[in-house]
Amino acid sequence: MSVPLVVTKRMTDHPADSHTMERFEATGGYAQARKALDMTRDDIVELVKSSGLLGRGGAAFSAGLKWSFLAPARPAYLVVNGDESEPGTFKDRQLLERDPHQMIEGIIITSIANEVHHAFVYIRGEYAKPARRVQQAVDEAYAKGYLGKGIFGTDFDLEVTVHLGGGAYICGEETAMINSLEGRRGEPRLKPPYFPAAKGLYMMPTIVNNVETVSDLPRILEMGADEFAHLAHENDTGTFMMSLSGHVKKPGNYELAHGITWRELIFEVGGGITDDRELKAWIPGGASAPWFVPEHHLDLEITKEATAAAGSMLGSGAVIVMDETTCMVRAAERVVRFFSHESCGQCTPCREGTTWLEMILRRIEEGQGRAVDLDLAIGVSDGISIDLAWPPKMTTICPLGPSAVSPIKALKDYFRSEVDAHIEGEGCPFD
Amino acid sequence: MSRWSDETQIRAKEIISRYPEKRSAVMPLLYLAMAEDGYLSDEGMTEVGEWVDLTPAQVQAVASFYTMYKRQPTGKYLVSCCTSISCMLLGGDEVLHALEDESGVPHGETDEEGLLSVEHVECIGACGGAVALQVNYELIEGVTPEKARQLVQWLKAARPEAVNTDEMQELFGGVRSFDWAIRDEHAAVGPYPGFQPLGTIRQAGEE
Amino acid sequence: MLISKGRVALLTDLLTIKIDGREFEVKPGELVIKAAEDNGTYIPRFCWHSRMKPVGMCRMCLVEVDTGRGPLLVTACTNEVVDGMSVDTEGDTVKKAQEAVLEFLLANHPLDCPVCDKGGECPLQDQAMAYGPGESRFVEIKRTYEKPIPISDLVLLDRERCILCARCTRFSEEISGDPLIEFMDRGNDTEINTFPDLPFSSYFSGNTVQICPVGALTAKPYRFRARPWDLRMVESSSNFDPAHPRLSIHVSENEILRLVGVDSEPVNHGWLSDKDRFGFEYVRSDNRLTTPLVRRGDQFEAIDWSEALDMVSNRLGLIGDESGGQAIAVLGGSQGTNEDAYALSKFARTVLKTNNVDSLIDERTPAQFLAATVDRGLISDLDTADTILVWGPDLKETHPTLYLRVRRAAQELGVQLVVIHPRATGLDDRADRILRYRPGGGFELLKDLEAGLPADVFDLLTGSVVAIVGQASLADDPQLPESVAAVIRDRAEKVKIIPLTSRANTYGALDMGMAPDLLPGRVAYRSDAMESSWGELPSGQGRGAKSIFEGLRTEEVRALLMVGADPARDLPEEGAVEALELAEYVVAIDAFMNDSNRHADVIFPAAVFSEKEGTTTNVEGRVQKVNAITPAPGSSRPDWAILDDISVRMGAPMGLSSVEIVAKEINAVAPAYQDATWDRLEWEDRDGVVVSDADGALVHIPVRLNGPSAPGAELTLHISKVMYDDGVRLRNCPSLRPLAPGAVVHIHPDDARRLGAQEGFEVDVTTSKGEGRFRARIDVDTPAGVVFVPQNQPSAPRLGIDPVVRIKVVT
Ligand SMILES: Cc1cc2nc3c(=O)[nH]c(=O)nc-3n(C[C@H](O)[C@H](O)[C@H](O)COP(=O)(O)O)c2cc1C
Ligand code: SF4
Ligand code: FES
Repeated sequence: MSVPLVVTKRMTDHPADSHTMERFEATGGYAQARKALDMTRDDIVELVKSSGLLGRGGAAFSAGLKWSFLAPARPAYLVVNGDESEPGTFKDRQLLERDPHQMIEGIIITSIANEVHHAFVYIRGEYAKPARRVQQAVDEAYAKGYLGKGIFGTDFDLEVTVHLGGGAYICGEETAMINSLEGRRGEPRLKPPYFPAAKGLYMMPTIVNNVETVSDLPRILEMGADEFAHLAHENDTGTFMMSLSGHVKKPGNYELAHGITWRELIFEVGGGITDDRELKAWIPGGASAPWFVPEHHLDLEITKEATAAAGSMLGSGAVIVMDETTCMVRAAERVVRFFSHESCGQCTPCREGTTWLEMILRRIEEGQGRAVDLDLAIGVSDGISIDLAWPPKMTTICPLGPSAVSPIKALKDYFRSEVDAHIEGEGCPFD
Repeated sequence: MSRWSDETQIRAKEIISRYPEKRSAVMPLLYLAMAEDGYLSDEGMTEVGEWVDLTPAQVQAVASFYTMYKRQPTGKYLVSCCTSISCMLLGGDEVLHALEDESGVPHGETDEEGLLSVEHVECIGACGGAVALQVNYELIEGVTPEKARQLVQWLKAARPEAVNTDEMQELFGGVRSFDWAIRDEHAAVGPYPGFQPLGTIRQAGEE
Repeated sequence: MLISKGRVALLTDLLTIKIDGREFEVKPGELVIKAAEDNGTYIPRFCWHSRMKPVGMCRMCLVEVDTGRGPLLVTACTNEVVDGMSVDTEGDTVKKAQEAVLEFLLANHPLDCPVCDKGGECPLQDQAMAYGPGESRFVEIKRTYEKPIPISDLVLLDRERCILCARCTRFSEEISGDPLIEFMDRGNDTEINTFPDLPFSSYFSGNTVQICPVGALTAKPYRFRARPWDLRMVESSSNFDPAHPRLSIHVSENEILRLVGVDSEPVNHGWLSDKDRFGFEYVRSDNRLTTPLVRRGDQFEAIDWSEALDMVSNRLGLIGDESGGQAIAVLGGSQGTNEDAYALSKFARTVLKTNNVDSLIDERTPAQFLAATVDRGLISDLDTADTILVWGPDLKETHPTLYLRVRRAAQELGVQLVVIHPRATGLDDRADRILRYRPGGGFELLKDLEAGLPADVFDLLTGSVVAIVGQASLADDPQLPESVAAVIRDRAEKVKIIPLTSRANTYGALDMGMAPDLLPGRVAYRSDAMESSWGELPSGQGRGAKSIFEGLRTEEVRALLMVGADPARDLPEEGAVEALELAEYVVAIDAFMNDSNRHADVIFPAAVFSEKEGTTTNVEGRVQKVNAITPAPGSSRPDWAILDDISVRMGAPMGLSSVEIVAKEINAVAPAYQDATWDRLEWEDRDGVVVSDADGALVHIPVRLNGPSAPGAELTLHISKVMYDDGVRLRNCPSLRPLAPGAVVHIHPDDARRLGAQEGFEVDVTTSKGEGRFRARIDVDTPAGVVFVPQNQPSAPRLGIDPVVRIKVVT
């Protein structure tokens, strides 16, 4: 189960000072940036493509492929996505706080590969401490001439601006992030025509990559594409961070390779269920993902394909574990409430539908449910994500709205009787 | 003619210079406006608009989209308790109630003195250290209802000029999402993020 | 440059798409929603508007498209057609989506249709009937807001009805350029609102009411007045903006209830300024004249038509017999139709035998330049220019349609913009370069420009340039606009000139010969020019407005006929009132009593706007048909009919017994107008036809003249028009009247400090030609050393033409 660590290696080996310039350079830091400066753009893109590095922001799209789609107009921009706000996810926070230079080196590599001369690190506003660590690291890099005009004594210029969010999960969606960076409301843009690679920040070609994706790059250059690609089991590549939370004995971030099973993850990596209670359900890939239950999913392998085939996704790698004491109506309400609160409000189905769902669930939880309410909730969900299909047939601009139906689907598929108990008993049986 | 202090104006210029287009500076400038007035006032939004050539309505459209720009006066300490799914599973609602009860301030409000504001928030990225809360965006993980009460008492009694995440974590925290490794030497001074470019941090312990 | 300056892509091969199984050929680049509509399939929508960028927010237009990779649910308003695409607009998935969107929209929508202004013509109501689920399953408590809140002087907002389609916010940001109404908050709390204490005071606010797909935005002048099913309507053009934006007049029980913009591609794209939209109230005003009036001492008395006509014919005949036609003068013609102006022009020349005619009263830009400049530009030329130069009035104030079109060109089509004006203008935020000059100093700036300074502006004026030129300030020399045009013609490779004047139908009046040096159809005045139709005309140079008033004072001019003219207000020089008092005989044709016809001997009541049929000619020379739909009050009649009656009684009948006859005669005798027949305008050319050079028509080459320099004064006075003034029609529009700024003087903060003036202080303003008390407005948009006074304001003293001004705070 154990794999060679990639992004968390330095912080594991040197917990006390992994975030400092001294430790970073002492452990090979910035050597790969220097190396990249001697490589051609195409070579870097090719290398990243063949490493099989998949985006870690949720969509798991090949990073190298994304770069190769960048439109030719210039200036091009890089936006590093550190908005991490999906319930269950806290991995980027650790990377930002504990190894900011690693990300900066990744930014340099990405910028060279994509002819970017101004990169932005968009960090959610609530991450004050991680943002401080990053800003400090950026300042140090500027001081050493690793950022700014003519980095490392070459004629390559690179500015890095650390941008703080304002409290809006939707800004994690790449086009919403671009709007936000432009000083606008963080509303997702239409794709087409506003694909970031063509018409992104300031309508120019823009790469958006997750913090972890970018942080992977220095080690990929160091170990080579092939070695990185073969870290994982069979079809998958590299490592990836998973955030474990909820009713597990050992919550936390774990850098893993795909291919272990959910049972291994929850009971071995996570140390099992708190107080050895029974596992009831888990959310496999952040709050957006359709839920899994032990009867059907415990022995599935954790791979992109297997998870998709089972009707869910690995998303941002956040696993939220719920034990037998958890009220599923309440848990569903809490997840739906999140999406309703975070809806940007542009799309009618998301703006109206998510709040409607939240109201229905709250009524049921508070003992005011009607017999028709679960079907009503399913009907409302149907209007946001037609037929509750997987992958979703969205009636919305972005996937936020359709994400809100995942808990409803869980109630429909696995916990109908628990809903009925609420309605018949006019209250929550877990209270 | 800016109402802002000279120092804030220097910061505003510096911030604007970090972006290719000045409209991009709206968000950091909104934080500056909050730091100037203690919250985001109508005058603050108008001022931000003047810096970046937007109408006050355009500025408000942006500001009101985000939850961290408080358009009502907020206490010196903004206590934000996570009640999203992972924290809820481990007692987030109970911690919130403890905060409300001990402080006498319900969610979304501020005490009469202007010392404490309490709010529940969606996920703050500390799910492995549930229940998590923040004071002026400085994090405490693994909080219990009992510790939450002690936090309120401490804020009321000690009234620190600035709050430091490690100090509070030691006093009131428990399980963490990950090893924090070393102490953070910074402290936040108001109900907005403590961040260098905004000038809203101090050295911890410095009064 | 990335954008091809708005030039339409070459009409390459058409694409083939399938809509619900049927094949169509469509243009590449077309949005699915548009392509479907053009081919007979209406896809329901709320947020999409053909004149604004798609936002795809309401999600009503979801369709399934298949481009070979399987069906995909997408919005038809945001996706372009692709060759071979098949579009399903009525399958199960689409139906489900449509029903869902409607149910979501109605979930929080109040059930107040019976009392809603939009009831009966509401897209939400209509589409809910056509595509909705029939009944709502929403049992929760609806979102509530304070019921309608005023967001400006003219517009109310009911947030409960709002469906957040972003049409109003997009309009204010993309089209009119005053983003004062915005989305606030987010998610389910999203609402439309303004900033506290900062109303949506846009000159274009009424458009948001028109495009709001529900009853969320309503216009105060229309609220609760009628239900749409009572309405009769007819298409016409505005009678304020000289671009003549197209509109539809909605009438109930013989009263105009509202005007609605009509989308005319060459002109207004459906937009109207608030003055053009709400400025109809004067038509139904109680102050309208309804019978002929005759002066008896200090009083006017109503008399009947035949008596009045006899009286006027006899007296004018007598004066003509005694002193010849040159003792009679005619002013006006710019407020009516071309038919009115033609009759007036013919009446002056053939009945009164005078060439003392003028329709230009306050603006003295040479008539031949206005009517017949070479390289005359079209409004649509703005879309494809490299550079637009605006050196003239603040278009936002005086030429709203041009303002919107220039803004669009600069903002959306990548056209470069240079704005030259004595103070800030509404276009400055979109200008690539702004130049300011001291009022009266335009010729100095022009000399610099000619010499290549400033170089960056000089550089911008190459390639294809559209020059919009007009008098920016009363202090400007009237020759300046033409000289600017001459200089730009020297400089740029390809030039289009749009010469400005600001009254409703001045271009029409000039084209009908209402200037001493013009005859109908853009023909230079010569006494033998119209021998075959009008016979021999008076010889010698006629008098223009200024000279007519000199003549009245020296008593060389004994009689004056004013048609829709108010020189007492409009003549910039002092002394109009004294001259009118001195005049031996004054006749007026007008809809209202005004400061000038108060001094008349006889006044005939005139029909206006929606009461008469005819044509008008706009700023680009476009002739459009205007139509009648309300009866004129009392016994008022159109100008042409009154004039024809007088001609009969004077023994020189013009033979203009019906408006159709007038129109046909124009086509027959006015060279440039021969093709602008009513037939064409009513059928194949509803957008109008641009009259152009015809055999015998004048082609005027702009001449570079020299003019005065700015006076060396500490403060220079800039007087120019703003949208709302004290013109008699606006004075009789209760909704608009309060919007005039009044007697204010704009002073830069530095000057204000020096003068000890603060916002709202009373100050005395003095020039050598006038003086009076104004309220100070401290204004960074007016440069230091310049003071700005809006022209013709209620209760504002007159300051005459003298750029040297002194200001003293009243203590
Ligand atoms: C609603 C929503 C929220 C998202 N939030 C995040 C986020 O917090 N962090 C992130 O990296 N990606 C997030 N994404 C994914 C981004 O849109 C984008 O795909 C990603 O940043 C690309 O980086 P990657 O290719 O390196 O994964 C979100 C997507 C959606 C639809
Ligand atoms: S789905 Fe929701 S969050 Fe996404 S764009 Fe639409 S309204 Fe905004
Ligand atoms: S009309 Fe297409 S989404 Fe509104």
